[in-house]
Amino acid sequence: MKGALAVVLLSATCLSGAADAQSKLLEPERAFAFSVQALDDRTVEARFAIADGYYLYREKLKFSVEPTALAAAPALPPGKVKDDEFFGKVETYRGRLAVKLALDQKEPGRKVTVRAESQGCADAGICYPPQVQVLTLTLPLPGAGPGAPVVATPARKSWFN
Amino acid sequence: MFGTFITRRWFRWSAFAVVGVLALAAGLQFRGNVDDSASGTGRGMDAATLFALAMPDASGREQSFGQWKGKVLVVNFWATWCVPCREEMPEFVKVQRELGGRGLQFVGVAMDEADKVELFAAELGLNYPALIGGYGAIELSKTMGNRLGALPFTVIIDRSGRVAHTQLGPINEANLRSIVGQLL
Repeated sequence: MKGALAVVLLSATCLSGAADAQSKLLEPERAFAFSVQALDDRTVEARFAIADGYYLYREKLKFSVEPTALAAAPALPPGKVKDDEFFGKVETYRGRLAVKLALDQKEPGRKVTVRAESQGCADAGICYPPQVQVLTLTLPLPGAGPGAPVVATPARKSWFN
Repeated sequence: MFGTFITRRWFRWSAFAVVGVLALAAGLQFRGNVDDSASGTGRGMDAATLFALAMPDASGREQSFGQWKGKVLVVNFWATWCVPCREEMPEFVKVQRELGGRGLQFVGVAMDEADKVELFAAELGLNYPALIGGYGAIELSKTMGNRLGALPFTVIIDRSGRVAHTQLGPINEANLRSIVGQLL
């Protein structure tokens, strides 16, 4: 009897949800959750946790740090290649993405701000305008090990996401 | 006395039915927690703000929205970097060609660079104006119900200048024809 009740509840809520996939679109900060972690006193790892059904364009991804400088342009991993009718070959990222940002010198204990520019879309058929996300973290002292990850707080919380 | 009419089984199944209906209602109520533009938020709104605006087209010529008052106006916010936007535009070209004579007017507002817009418009054989909006245009679309500021976003305005329908994401051709058909 309990099982039958559960089935009725589940199917009723699922049916109403499936009827409106478009209204389940995530805010971009949730679709492309940004976080950073200092790996040592001159390396920061920038991460995107890309929600299922969403993707970022490799070409539109840019990182910068302040007040320090990057030693070199960050190495972006290869993405999935797609043939775009208008732009030719484009590469996209899904799931988890991690990019190491190497600073041009050691900055133990320094507070640095990481800025990420990105642009992504949802498989549901929409594209977000270019996003800028900024996080601040403190670099660890030498030999102290990696710092704690700093996660961008989404603008709005709700029961369902 | 009560027990002769209501058996335990009847009671159990009608309780299920009530719970089921309540769950369905709850699901329907909460599904729009992120975005409900697809259901036409902004409908009934006056597009007076829009008609007071002017934007340059891809050749740099200033185009005032006021020139399209009295038409059934389909304003489509798009960009060349938005693949779903590009994919639905051939439909718009077709519908513009068929119904333009009856007073239908598509206007594209691109959050994009003029040269890319011009190139794509030429490739597509675009038969309606492609205006260049910047981030101001994204803000404009937000005031018309585009809460996420995403693309494509389409606003359909009736002949009296009222918003009849808004849509975030590609608009289905049959749906589009049905809506404009009623307004023309």
